[in-house]
Amino acid sequence: MIEIRNLTKIYKLNKKQMKESKTTNPLKTAVDDLSLRAVPGEIYGLLGPNGAGKTTTLRCISTIIRPTKGEIYVAGHEVQKEPEQVREKIGFLTGDIKLDPQFSVDYMFDFFGKLHHVPQDKLRARKEELFDYFEIRDFAHKKIKELSTGMGQKAAIAVCLVHDPDIVIFDEPTNGLDVVTARGVTDYLKKLKNEGKLVIISTHIMSEAEKICDRIGVIIDGQKVAEGRLHEILQETGTGDLEDAFFELYRERKGEAL
Amino acid sequence: MGGIKQICGKELARVFKDVKMMFSVFFLPVIIMIAVMSLVSNMSLKAEQDVEEHVPVLYVENAPDGFDGFLKQAEIAYTLYPVEDREMVKESILNGDADLWIEFPANFQEAVSDYQTGDEVVQVKTYYNPSEEYSRAAYNMISTGVLEMYRQKLLAQRVDDMQKLTVFTVNSDNPDMVIQDEQKAGGKVLGTMLPYFVTILLFAGAMGIGTDMVAGEKERGTMASLLVSPIKRSSIVLGKVFALMIISGVSSVVYVAAMVIFMPQMLGGSSGEDLGISLTLGAGQIAMLAALLVAIAFLYSAVIVLVSVFAKTVKEASSYVMPMYMLVLVLGITTMFTTSTPKDWFYMIPVYNTSLALQGILTQEVTGVQYGMTLGVTLALGAVLIGVIAKAFESEKVMAI
Ligand SMILES: Nc1ncnc2c1ncn2[C@@H]1O[C@H](COP(=O)(O)OP(=O)(O)OP(=O)(O)O)[C@@H](O)[C@H]1O
Ligand SMILES: [Mg+2]
Repeated sequence: MIEIRNLTKIYKLNKKQMKESKTTNPLKTAVDDLSLRAVPGEIYGLLGPNGAGKTTTLRCISTIIRPTKGEIYVAGHEVQKEPEQVREKIGFLTGDIKLDPQFSVDYMFDFFGKLHHVPQDKLRARKEELFDYFEIRDFAHKKIKELSTGMGQKAAIAVCLVHDPDIVIFDEPTNGLDVVTARGVTDYLKKLKNEGKLVIISTHIMSEAEKICDRIGVIIDGQKVAEGRLHEILQETGTGDLEDAFFELYRERKGEAL
Repeated sequence: MGGIKQICGKELARVFKDVKMMFSVFFLPVIIMIAVMSLVSNMSLKAEQDVEEHVPVLYVENAPDGFDGFLKQAEIAYTLYPVEDREMVKESILNGDADLWIEFPANFQEAVSDYQTGDEVVQVKTYYNPSEEYSRAAYNMISTGVLEMYRQKLLAQRVDDMQKLTVFTVNSDNPDMVIQDEQKAGGKVLGTMLPYFVTILLFAGAMGIGTDMVAGEKERGTMASLLVSPIKRSSIVLGKVFALMIISGVSSVVYVAAMVIFMPQMLGGSSGEDLGISLTLGAGQIAMLAALLVAIAFLYSAVIVLVSVFAKTVKEASSYVMPMYMLVLVLGITTMFTTSTPKDWFYMIPVYNTSLALQGILTQEVTGVQYGMTLGVTLALGAVLIGVIAKAFESEKVMAI
């Protein structure tokens, strides 16, 4: 289970960042008093526009960055108090975490397997399964830097699942993939859910959220503006599909400025 | 402390499984060093030979009878010209066509043979051009050597008993005049060079790889994948530092071995034995050296990793490491030129103390306390730096994620 209690993340901007975002305020609130709960056996989707704070939230869950305020419990472990135990339980994938370009997929798989204390025979079985599923065999011995974007993404997914984690956190899992490969990935996420795992993803693709997420949390400007099953959100906003619902929520939040 | 082994293994694989990397880290610098040193020593050897083989061009003014004969008898090759135009001779010496100009006074022979007590002693003048190799060689050989012999010869004609004038000689027949401990002498020569080379090589060997290992990993975006692994930050740090120690250790062993093997080539044919240096290390000395070298590699690796952690790119890291490298170089050089016995507290100064101790081990002059102090200070500082690096790994800002 993942439980976020009143998470606030404030970045301190350096001079360059302040210039880039044309602001004189050195503090940037990326996530603002956000609470949510995701349970095993479901796919929870964080839906939001660019800069809403999705990646920031997922990074806080994954112990890569520290919450400014609030607590996050992952499988009962608090991220700031027991980061190693949390990392033991999760598989985290995001576009800006990359595999070492000099090594082969095979090497990276074994390497992270060992870091996660996966025993030798289990490691072999995992490799068999994941390399088969994502059709990695053909390029397993190529260096990461020689792979195409899609191959690289597949490899990254396989590597981050090496230890068969109970909680899978994917930041924009289908980013940069063609429809066939994207379908492969989302199907796998469903398979994980059916195995009783907790999957939490971020996305700004409405159709993806509609199709695969059991529950959706809509985030705008770091705050949760709606949450629930698809039909609940549609009901609440009085709309016919998620895109309309999203625009409705966006308008409510930002005023008529659309 | 799980994970240290894996992290270290991966960093080593990065270097040792990559032929190009191996070549550029271990072999290229060695090849360049040997090539440059051999070239320099060969060229200077050639130049020396050339000077030796050159037949000096002499201009002799008012040559006394028999001078030509004397030179022939002394078995000196030369070409001799009489002086006709002094300005022209001066010109030729200046532009290197002539090597030496010997000026006997016009009345040389009479002045020598008719000498009466109280007469003024005649003077022979020689002129040469010290910026010309040939001229300088001719001056050294003739003005100070051959003319002295000629003086002795003429003197023998004047006095009957040369022995009486000599009074005493210094070391004209004393093959045992050098009294020294061969071991210590060898240590002295090696002791001045080795700490210098070893410290440079250990640092230089770790520099490129170390910056890539941390700053490069940040730049490529691969560091975060380690940070989500269930291992301690300090394990990542130690894994990397140990890998760096091994790499810099191996590279310095390769360098030192190459230096010893190719020493004859680099010195232009003369080996250590020809130079009167023999060095045999006792088992105790070797153990002391090994322990100290490991400690130095540890400290340097920690320094390089520390500096790289605070850099965003490899380029930035390299520019931060440079001043450290300079510092190590300078401290290494200072030990090369210190002759006074180092005070005890010198052994508390990090980096500098390791150079002193290396030297001290080879010359067998370091005390147990001094050695222990050096080892302790080096390891303690390294450990402190590891702690600082691990702290930096915790910081989002520093890790730029
Ligand atoms: N390391 C950082 N330092 C400073 N500000 C940051 C940092 N990371 C993100 N931000 C800012 O925090 C806000 C939220 O960013 P975040 O990456 O969480 O958004 P997102 O919802 O993932 O957006 P996207 O859909 O574009 O991926 C943005 O305004 C961003 O500029
Ligand atoms: Mg994002």
